[in-house]
Amino acid sequence: MKKKVLTVDDSRTIRNMLLVTLNNAGFETIQAEDGVEGLEVLEECNPDVIVTDINMPRLDGFGFIEGVRRNERYRAVPILVLTTESDAEKKNRARQAGATGWIVKPFDPAKLIDAIERVTA
Amino acid sequence: MAVNNNSAETLKLAKVLDLNEASNLHGTLTSLRGKDVAIDASGVERVGVQCVQVLLAAANAWEKDSKSLVIDKVSDAFRKTMQLIGINIDHLLAKEIRQ
Amino acid sequence: MDMNEIKEIFFQECEEQLAELESGLLKLNDGDRDPETVNAVFRAVHSIKGGAGAFGLDDLVSFAHVFETTLDCVRSNKLEPSQDVLKVMLKSADVLADLVTAARDGGGVDEGRSRGLVKELEALARGELPSGGASEAPKPPAKPAPAPVAVAPAPAPAPTDDSGFQPIPFTFDEFGDEEATIEPSSFEVVFKPRRELYSKGNEAALLLRDLSRVGEMSINCDIDSLPAFEKMDPEAAYFSWTINVKTTKSEQDIRSVFEFAEWDCDLDVKLAESTDEELPMIPVPFDLDFLNDDSVDDEPAVENHSAEQAAAVAAAEAASNVSKMAAAAARVEKKESQSAAAAAAAAASANAANAAAGAGQTIRVDLDRVDRLINLVGELVINQAMLSQSVIENDTTGTSSINMGLEELQQLTREIQDSVMAIRAQPVKPVFQRMSRIVREVADMVGKSIRLVTEGENTEVDKTVIDKLAEPLTHMIRNAVDHGIETPEKREAAGKNPEGTVKLTAKHRSGRILIELQDDGAGINRERVRQKAIDNDLIPADANLTDEEIDNLIFMPGFSTADKISDISGRGVGMDVVKRSIQALGGRISISSRPGQGSTFTMSLPLTLAVLDGMVVTVAGQTLVVPLTAIVETLQPEAAAIHSFGANQRLISIRNSFCPLVDVGRILNFRSIQANPVEGVALLVESEGGGQRALMVDAIQGQRQVVIKSLEANYTHVPGIAAATILGDGRVALILDVDAVVAASRGQSLRGDGALKSDMSLAATG
Repeated sequence: MKKKVLTVDDSRTIRNMLLVTLNNAGFETIQAEDGVEGLEVLEECNPDVIVTDINMPRLDGFGFIEGVRRNERYRAVPILVLTTESDAEKKNRARQAGATGWIVKPFDPAKLIDAIERVTA
Repeated sequence: MAVNNNSAETLKLAKVLDLNEASNLHGTLTSLRGKDVAIDASGVERVGVQCVQVLLAAANAWEKDSKSLVIDKVSDAFRKTMQLIGINIDHLLAKEIRQ
Repeated sequence: MDMNEIKEIFFQECEEQLAELESGLLKLNDGDRDPETVNAVFRAVHSIKGGAGAFGLDDLVSFAHVFETTLDCVRSNKLEPSQDVLKVMLKSADVLADLVTAARDGGGVDEGRSRGLVKELEALARGELPSGGASEAPKPPAKPAPAPVAVAPAPAPAPTDDSGFQPIPFTFDEFGDEEATIEPSSFEVVFKPRRELYSKGNEAALLLRDLSRVGEMSINCDIDSLPAFEKMDPEAAYFSWTINVKTTKSEQDIRSVFEFAEWDCDLDVKLAESTDEELPMIPVPFDLDFLNDDSVDDEPAVENHSAEQAAAVAAAEAASNVSKMAAAAARVEKKESQSAAAAAAAAASANAANAAAGAGQTIRVDLDRVDRLINLVGELVINQAMLSQSVIENDTTGTSSINMGLEELQQLTREIQDSVMAIRAQPVKPVFQRMSRIVREVADMVGKSIRLVTEGENTEVDKTVIDKLAEPLTHMIRNAVDHGIETPEKREAAGKNPEGTVKLTAKHRSGRILIELQDDGAGINRERVRQKAIDNDLIPADANLTDEEIDNLIFMPGFSTADKISDISGRGVGMDVVKRSIQALGGRISISSRPGQGSTFTMSLPLTLAVLDGMVVTVAGQTLVVPLTAIVETLQPEAAAIHSFGANQRLISIRNSFCPLVDVGRILNFRSIQANPVEGVALLVESEGGGQRALMVDAIQGQRQVVIKSLEANYTHVPGIAAATILGDGRVALILDVDAVVAASRGQSLRGDGALKSDMSLAATG
């Protein structure tokens, strides 16, 4: 069975990159455009791993991660945040919110797949 | 559905033994306390350390209670994960499946 | 979808983000302090940076990064978004836009400008306020607080003396030979997870799996801290590990395995002191693929080194069968089971996909495809008209079912055409947004303080109109800022708000789009305009002009009122060029002005350039089409109403007012002798200058919608002719350029080079 990845990002560019990269790597990809939609979709798609951006309208990545971790059913799902190397503060906040790991931007398909492999069985 | 012999209760482990399952497993085992238990790990695909902690603690408790707790069926994933994390479960395995 | 397509999406998204950025900054500039506005502004820059990074657009990334850092200070309330701060930010937004354009189309940007802004932005981020904002209290430096990094050094491993270790040699032959030449080192790793490690979705077993890939590994699990079953917390972390890794890789490679987990565990990695390891450990199998495989492993776990092999195989087979049954049962009985989720998964992911794609429900289509479709529909319209014509000509019996069918076809064709045209319709917003930058830049250059207010940005019009609108509009905005609005000192002296306002409005009016540009400046200085026109021999010194006519003199070729040729609007382009651009779009422009209160330019443009409602007329045996929008009324001149004056000027009196009579046939050189007005028809048209003219044609054939075919594209520009079309009978008809004809009637003759003659000998102006 294909591994299922939920991506949450408001940038159409990044969403498309994620989609192409993940599909090419043989993942099933479900996409949401912000944290609110991410939490909605989560209930239906039962992902093996989540990849989320931090800066998003309506509900940002921190809020989204906290939402997932509070969810009885999905609190154990690994969550990777898309972040920049320079932003230690954000990385830290994401970790405190419950992020499993991070993918350092700029977006690099190999790094993405590697990070997903690391946190999933 | 489960194959019972010698009146032992059979506990079929979930496919994914993750963080969420650890509390479930602990609860189920608590309810079986005082009974002989045969654990069926044949359907297990993923094993998290926390569930292993629960299983090993249960094994200790059953031993103290002088009841039997035996793993009588294992999946490859279950067996190999145990090996990976350095846990020897040979003494818990039913004789027939020991290697 | 490939990378180039994604890059295309990226640039489209950049446009949107830049628009978002600018409108957000403008809102902040107007005193909006909604945190979501600040967030949106931040996100816009962040998003551009993110995408740019993925495509290696380094200039863009580094500028966006500095910009983002400063915006983050605003977001975290470390920097007050004062007007001075926003001025820097708006300029930065402009540079960011330039960088995006440079990244997309090649070419460079004003490096000095961007470097200067980088410095200003960095100063802001450090808490230094721009010079203009000296009155504000200094803010604390906006350096992000250093994050406490809690990498707790692991205690020295306490070697256990458990006896349960089984030393089994483990070969690594699968590794490439090139690595074999490097002497492997032995590392001792002590790994003690905390419960947070698990609650954040990390898993010790997976970390150990990854560690085993670094090298040959043997492991000892310390289970001593495991409490009694009834006292344990199932979600706590009790186990810890001492691992020996023999590898040619570095300590860093080992540590990087724990990159995601290092905050939530105690970790110690060091070179193992003695090579003859005394603690026997359980080696870890190299074959770890099972951990990557979600499928149920139906193969019995049989490894043929047991003494009780036969029994084992039998048991395993039984186990396998039971396992299959049990697995099936589990699927049914387990609440919220994987399979239940899987059953819903298809629908769910479809929903998710819909939700993701749902916003706005739009698709992006290559413009060429739309244009091809529009062209084809244009041909269809012409063909349908020709078909109708020939059926009517050949059908002498009157009504027939063919006629009814044709009517329906006509209706359908019309609807298809309207729908297709709607595809090209776009809001004027992007053009309007560009104008706000022009206002900023020009105001900055001339030292004026000016706000741009826009209204009706979502008014839609054909994309070509939008594209072609930018240039004349830019010119007019420059003019309004440079000449229209007074300096702050003059404004204050006149009792006005020192900050000037330029208002840009778009709305739909009777099938056209109306764009108004209004400034609250000094208005047209009529005395000076008039003098200038006299000085430039544009009008005779004794010409008697209405205020309106004086105002409209600024559209005359070669007219410029600026005392000094400024850098901004004195680029050798006058309002005459603006007027010509608007006319080329089938539009009209006029000005109204009130001294001391400002001027309003009004442009009326067709919604599409592809079709035109026209009146088909005959002039000297030629068929012409006159745009219906230009015609006020048609009338049959009577001999008594015609008055001659001068050598060959004639007026027609209409309801007690006189209107110059223009013989279209003569203007276009279709004939050399003036036609007799009484034998023709007069079309009363409104010209840009405001005044009316009566255009003489020989006969009216009817009204119809025609598909515009550019003459320039197919032939060459013909003075007095706007375009051509193909009529139902297959004939080519020329579409009259009413304004050019009216202008020519003022004494300017039409010239072959397309430019109107500037040395006019104005005889009649009203």
